[in-house]
Amino acid sequence: MNLLDIRNLSIVLKSATNPILAVDRVSLTMKEGEVRGLVGESGSGKSLLAQAIIGVLDDKWQVDADRFHWRGKDLMRLSIDERKAIISKDVAMIFQEPMACLDPTMTIGKQLTEAVDGEQLSGYFWQKNRQRKETAMTLLHKVGIKQHKICLKKYPHQLNDALCQRVMIAMALAKRPILLIADEPTTAMESTNQGQIFRLLASLNQLKNMSILLISHDLENVTHWTNTITVMYSGQFVEAGTTKHIFEQPFHPYTRALVDSSPKSNRGLPAKSRLMALPGSIPILQHLPIGCRLGPRCPRAQQECVIAPKVTNYHGHQFSCHFSLKDSY
Amino acid sequence: MPILLEVNNLSKSFKLNRNWFDRKAFTALEPISFEVQAHQTLAIVGETGSGKSTLAKLLVGAELPTTGSIKLNGQTLQPGDFKQRCQHVRMIFQDSGTTLNPSLTIGQLLNEPLLLNTKLKEEDRHCLIRETLQKVGLLAEHMNFYPHMFSGGQKQRISLARAIILQPQVIILDEALASLDPSLRSQMINLLLDLQEQMGLAYILISHNLGIVRHFSDKIMVLSKGQVMEMGETSVILKKPKHQYTKKLILNQRFQLLHK
Repeated sequence: MNLLDIRNLSIVLKSATNPILAVDRVSLTMKEGEVRGLVGESGSGKSLLAQAIIGVLDDKWQVDADRFHWRGKDLMRLSIDERKAIISKDVAMIFQEPMACLDPTMTIGKQLTEAVDGEQLSGYFWQKNRQRKETAMTLLHKVGIKQHKICLKKYPHQLNDALCQRVMIAMALAKRPILLIADEPTTAMESTNQGQIFRLLASLNQLKNMSILLISHDLENVTHWTNTITVMYSGQFVEAGTTKHIFEQPFHPYTRALVDSSPKSNRGLPAKSRLMALPGSIPILQHLPIGCRLGPRCPRAQQECVIAPKVTNYHGHQFSCHFSLKDSY
Repeated sequence: MPILLEVNNLSKSFKLNRNWFDRKAFTALEPISFEVQAHQTLAIVGETGSGKSTLAKLLVGAELPTTGSIKLNGQTLQPGDFKQRCQHVRMIFQDSGTTLNPSLTIGQLLNEPLLLNTKLKEEDRHCLIRETLQKVGLLAEHMNFYPHMFSGGQKQRISLARAIILQPQVIILDEALASLDPSLRSQMINLLLDLQEQMGLAYILISHNLGIVRHFSDKIMVLSKGQVMEMGETSVILKKPKHQYTKKLILNQRFQLLHK
């Protein structure tokens, strides 16, 4: 059974004059134990999608979906409290800006012990309190903070970005979630420490069968760690498939451009030669092109592109393009 | 090719004054010497705290060096003499959006360095701003726009325009490409390479994306804790790293790049 099954999810920013369609009919399925990458440049709506899954979008946003199932239960039909109970039990999220997401008025220790799941503890309250503290300590060790004693006493503003991010990851793992949504979990860290965090997540995925939705703006950062990848552009679904397919035989011109612009695939190119790049820039939300939003930048665009293409499935590899690169391989 | 920038024994240490009797110094950068030629790019890689930002600040003149000298075209750049330095050495910062004054239009922003450093008349300045904007791939009409009207990639282009408007010889890119989206990043790299060819610029690129470093730079310098671990041709060092630290750095990135 699919863990998460979302079909045609749209997110609209409500406004009196003209509502903005920020996410336009995006589908996403996740199996149990899967690591899926969600890739898109800034403004592609990937963070919005993640926030819609855990239901933290406020009244300004309107979320519609043909299907929004969590382990067979339709989340759209549940009341807010029921939904909150399910999501807070099974899903955890690592937010993008760690500094802004931690409570500035509480010490790290307090916040972390608060996040520890009460069901894992046993005994009288003093025993429970002690267990909480010990769990918080082991969590900090897990994410690679060695000086736990100092760290637990500090306030968020006293730590740097990378440490805050680690604390956020520890808090997300405290619940032992079934699905972990990691929204750019390693942006603030250095490259040497990024590997450490990804290895931790990968081992949790293998040992605890935890599914991970890894959100990133850079395709090549996630390829090593994911089984499948979904690509989005400017709020629209672009392509989904196994990591190998996406990287070696992308069907959509946008994915092709992303792969080509990454330094990895350019290893064969002589140094200082020009890189392949899409012309133009990402459209802003107020002026979105109609139809396929890649249209004005797409090298293969034709007249039909003013109508948004339907999602085509080809051996489990989904893409939405009128003029795909499928036949060129 | 002639040597453009020559750095001799440059070092920086900060004083830590705990109290009157207990004075210690923290060395951010051990003495280093290197040379950069025109049309060339020197990449500086290293972890945070390795002194690469300190080196950038010293080169651009934002910090005073403890020892050493910087020579441009054989002429010594005096520490504190900004008039001379800021015409030849310019810098592009990581968050380009926050370095633009939100209350000035792009035309006024680009006018400022010209007003302070050149004796051009108003029409000439206007022409030069127009030309520079076109060089970086923007339109002349953008002169009357305010910074908030641009996207991230365009803001990066504006800060590049501000850097090249005085026709400098050296541009320092302090993680300038890190925050950009991949498709904009390759556009920016192409633009920088084009400008290097046209104007004979020398770049000093601070980055921790080794893929970009491999593609973009001629020479590489690996810094760790203020010391130079390795320095030489990029292709040689990335293929056959000698030092343990460089190996670790490359291995970490290759680990991510390697495909299953």
